Order: sequence, then structure tokens, then C-alpha cells
Amino acid sequence: MGLNVIVPPRPTKDSLSLGVQHSPEFACIPLKICIGNLIEANQLGADTFLMVGGCGPCRFGLYGQLMKEIFQDLGINYHTLIIEPPDTGYWQFVTRVKKVIGPVSWWKIIQGIQLGYKKAVIVDKLEKYVQEIRPREFNKGTADKIFNNALQMIDQTQNLDELEEVFCLTKEKLWHIPQDESKDVLKIGLVGEIYTLLEPFASLEIEKKLGKMGAYVHRSLYLSDWVKEHLLTTRFFKLKGNDYRSYASPFLNHFVGGHGIESIGASVAFAQEGYNGIVQVAPLTCMPEIVAHNIFPQVSDKYGIPVLNIYVDEQTGETGLETRLEAFIELLEAKRKKVDRKITIC
Amino acid sequence: MGWKIGIPRALFYYTYFPLWTTFFQALGVEVVVSPPTNKAILDQGTKSVVDETCLPVKVFFGHAATFTNKNVDFLFVPRLISVEKKAYICPKFMGLPDMLSASKIKHPPLIKPVVNKVKSEQDTHFLWDCASPFTGKWLKIKKAWHDAEQEQRNYEQKLIRKYLDITDDRKLNILLLGHDYNLYDHYVNMGLWQKLQDLDCTVFTPAQFSKEERDSQLRKFPKSIFWTYGRNLLGAVYSFMQRPGKKGVIVLSSFGCGIDSFIDNLIIRRLVEQKIPYLNVILDEHTGEGGLVTRLEAFIDIIRWRRDYHQNYVSSYGQYVGCCKGNVGVHGTKCDCTTSSYKR
Repeated sequence: MGLNVIVPPRPTKDSLSLGVQHSPEFACIPLKICIGNLIEANQLGADTFLMVGGCGPCRFGLYGQLMKEIFQDLGINYHTLIIEPPDTGYWQFVTRVKKVIGPVSWWKIIQGIQLGYKKAVIVDKLEKYVQEIRPREFNKGTADKIFNNALQMIDQTQNLDELEEVFCLTKEKLWHIPQDESKDVLKIGLVGEIYTLLEPFASLEIEKKLGKMGAYVHRSLYLSDWVKEHLLTTRFFKLKGNDYRSYASPFLNHFVGGHGIESIGASVAFAQEGYNGIVQVAPLTCMPEIVAHNIFPQVSDKYGIPVLNIYVDEQTGETGLETRLEAFIELLEAKRKKVDRKITIC
Repeated sequence: MGWKIGIPRALFYYTYFPLWTTFFQALGVEVVVSPPTNKAILDQGTKSVVDETCLPVKVFFGHAATFTNKNVDFLFVPRLISVEKKAYICPKFMGLPDMLSASKIKHPPLIKPVVNKVKSEQDTHFLWDCASPFTGKWLKIKKAWHDAEQEQRNYEQKLIRKYLDITDDRKLNILLLGHDYNLYDHYVNMGLWQKLQDLDCTVFTPAQFSKEERDSQLRKFPKSIFWTYGRNLLGAVYSFMQRPGKKGVIVLSSFGCGIDSFIDNLIIRRLVEQKIPYLNVILDEHTGEGGLVTRLEAFIDIIRWRRDYHQNYVSSYGQYVGCCKGNVGVHGTKCDCTTSSYKR
């Protein structure tokens, strides 16, 4: 669109510790990582950051405002662009967006959005393949290598044809990975808060870890589903993703902000589909997920499905997490052998 | 036979007790309120929910557990989503009835009406859900609600206090910020009010500034805040900053409170600009009383020094006031070094 976009480097331990220094103590880990990451991007030469606003009840809505003030105090020169959701009418929203992006034709914007969305869809499709291959491959890590390579290629594609080519090529590669077809893998549903689910660094790559331990992992949230449900759905034009909310009904009857209700609904759906266990990942002090956490024992009781709750923050250690996951997987295996569905509850 | 309804003395009881008690009494229902918080209630609450939950919710579960063997017909646990337009309470309040039914606590049947005023101020559904077990007469319900609202308005009016004590120079003006259920539960805040009064302070709370004043002051903030408590706190700070006199601000928040983690940070930034001293007290079930007293005394001393010796270089908050030689001015000995105080 004629704007020079600086992609911040992938979050590392350094960006997290930078963020922890400058953000409020009890803030959730996504904010800390974002702040650290934005400071790094500033060092790379970015002068404007774009943030999406919100109107509650999750804390995310105030991120932009707080970041602005923190950067001001630090003396970092940053222009802030906060896109607020259309609360007072669509026209105002459109003009706000227009102000942000400047004189660019709407056709180009639509094309840009289409390409971006297609990219998200394809990355998610590939990721689902990888999730299936991970527990079965003989040579651990092959699928991840191919996937990372594909991500770089997808990043550089400019139009839909190139994208399709990369997709087909990667799919072909993934299918040729030698796999143990007869292995009976555990099925684990991963639920929780969106940022910790989608950003592997925030959750210490919990998905890969589970995969290497021999479990098939399915997430309750994928980026493309979220985009479809929240950004491309308007009053006139509805696209429905996986609707997990309807499953939550006897346990949690109301939207609680964030993804609390999706967490409960998805675990009920996973339990009905015959998954072996649920892992919940959330940032420490995340309010919606605490509500969900309080309700999980009841879900677990009713469906006989074990739940492991993991809260992540800057103090989370990798080894401790691995031990907990290993223990959880062993419990699941022991439970599966005994057939008795009621033997372990969370 | 008269009906009996139980209300836990926790969370929104502290804000809305005139409303609720008057309403149910007007319907001919006896209201049973759980006893004031004590150690047994807190321990029971801590046992009933997961560790990550905040202190007020733990206290709420403790209070709910006191109704286990009591002779009440219903327990009143409203699902408070929003009490004013475009502002929410807190995600934990939204899931409160569900959390209670999922816990191990045996409780009487719940009355769990939904209060949602985000989009419209209509309260028909709420009233009907509240009152339908007791009466079917719509007019009676409406009348009771009208009286109750009147009572609530009177109560709120009584809380609003003019800034009386500005002439009394010996007293310090302390704004005690916090959510109602922490401010007015004297077991949870360990008698902070009494302690402050013993230290010769006048205590102000957000409720002492009228809602209109708070809301109009809040326009200074560039974004509309979507939590009722956040609005109260920040609005009160803005109003308080404009009043005369020597002042300090104490923020009382519970450990892991998602709302306060952001609002506190915004408050600090406003206060540092005006050099108003600030103390953050974080409550959880392990808070010790001795430590709190020491911190309070130190804080009050700082405000006194600033007043009596005009020492504006006594740090307000988050600000280093020493100089390059390492001298921190005590009792008027000001360092003449120019390369002092770096800002945070």
C-alpha cells in the first residue's frame, strides 16, 4: 500500500525482559512482549506503530493508550495510530482508517486484505498438517524445518498464484516425511487465551513440545478463523467459523470477555470428539481464563477428561513446564490403558 | 410462610446494599446477610476457588459458603455485566454464578438475574428474574424497585461530601482509592480507615465525588475507559488533583486485579506530573498488618515533611531525587549540584 512496514524481529528473551522493565507489574504477558518488541522495532528505525483499540471488557482495549504513555515517558519518539472498533457507526470507522493509511485506492486495500487473509488461511492449513505429522515422524523436527522454510517463502509472495505454488510445494514435501502410520497417538486439545496460543514464544512452544512427546495437538483457535469471525464479519455479510461457544452452555452461560467462553466450549467439544486431554494456556492474571479455570473441574467431572492448566509469565521456566507436560502425558497414557474413564480428573 | 433470601456480604453488596435490601423487603421477603468477613470465611473462600482468583472473589465464595446450612430459600447472586452505558464491571463478575455452581460449595438455589446496561437501560428482564419467585404482580415489583432506587440515590447523596477540611491545616487529605468491596470491608483492608484517622488524616473515597463530577473530569483522558471501577478511580483522581490542600493518594488494590494493573499505572503518570505522593497497597490473603502500618507511617511522614519543610524534592513516586554526589536532601539541606534527579 505504499507504506514502509518494518516487521519487528520475532520475540526473544531479550524483548521480554525489555518489556518487563517498562510495563506495569501485573500486566499480562502479551503487553510485556509487545512493548519489548516495539522498542526493538524502534531501534530498527520504525517511527509509527499501529495498534488496534477495543471497548472491553478485556484489558486489550487499553493497550494502545498505555503503550503511548510508556513510550512518552521513556523518551522514545513514536507516533501512535490506534484504530478503534466501529462503536459509533461504520462511517466514522472508515474515515479513521482512511486517515491512517492515506491516499490509497480502496481497490488496492481490498486486494491487500484478500492476500493477507489467504496467507493466514494457508499458514493455518499447513500448520494443521504439521500438527498431524509431528507425533508420527521418525526423525523429530523435520516437519518443523519444512514449515519454517515455508513461512519465509509465504512472507515473500506478492500475489495469489505464487501463494498457491508455495502451498502445493510444501504440502508435497510434508507428505513425503517418513512416518510411523501404525502409532496410536494421544489427542490433546489446546485451549486458552489467543495470544499465548498463537505466539509460540509466549507459551514456550508448548505445541511443539507436546508434539515431540507423541501427542496430536489441536488448537481451539487459529488465526484465520479469528480473522474470519471478527474482522471480516459485518452486519450484512456473515462468515461463520468453528462455533465453540454453543457448547459451553450448561457450564458457562455468558460471554466473559477474551476467550473464556471459547475455552470452555472448545473443551466440551473436544471431549465429545474423544480427545484424551485438554491443556489450557493463559497469561497470569488473565481475567476471562481464570473464570474458565474455575469452571474446568465441572467439565472434567462430567466428561471424564483431564485438564492441565498452565499460566505463563516472565518467570515461567522451560524445564518445569516440560516436566509437567511429561507427567500429564504419562497420566493420559495410563488412563487410556485402564479404559476406566473416571480414573483421573484434574 | 415468608420467603427468605440470602445475600453474601461481599463484592457488590458494598455498593448496592440499600437498593437490594429495600427492594426485597418491599416485596415482603426477609433478607439474610452473611456476617462480616472473618478469618474462617476467608479461609473457606481460599479453599473453594483456584489460587489465581483475586482476593475479593475468594472472600465472596467464603460468604456464599456460610449459607450452606442456613435456612434460606434462595441465594442472590446477580450476574453483573454492566451497570452503566459502555462500561463493564469485570470478567469475573460475569462468570460469578457459573463459578459458584461449578465449585464444591453446597448452596441454596440461586437467583441470578443478568444486569446488562451496555446498550440500553432497560431493566424489565432483570426485575422479572429477581422477583418472579416471590410475586407475579408487575405493579408491585415496579413500585418496590422505584422505592429501592430512591433509597439508593439517597444513600449515594449522603456519601458525597464537600471538601470541608481544607482550613484545618494540621490534617492531611488522603484520597483512598479502591474498589468498594476492598474499601468498605474492614477485615480485608485491615482497618486502614481507622489507622489513617489515628494518624490525623482526612480520608476521601471515590464515592465522595459526585458521579457527574467524575465523569466530566474524565473527559481529559483521551480514550473512554470501559470499566466502571476504572472510571470511578481515574475520575476521582482528576477531581482530587484540583482541590487545594496537602494531599496524598493511597491505592488499595487486590493482587492480580486485571483492571487495577492498568488503571494504577495510568494514575501514577497523572500524579507524578503534579508531584503528589502515591502509595500502592496490594492486598491478598497473606498480607501482614505490621508491614502495612510501617508503610503507612512512612508515607504519612513523607507528606508531612513536604508540607512542613517545603521539601518538594522529597520523592513523590518513581522519581530519584538524589544528585550525582549521592546526597539526598534531608531537612532542608539542599544540594546545589545541577546534574541532579534523572527522571524515570
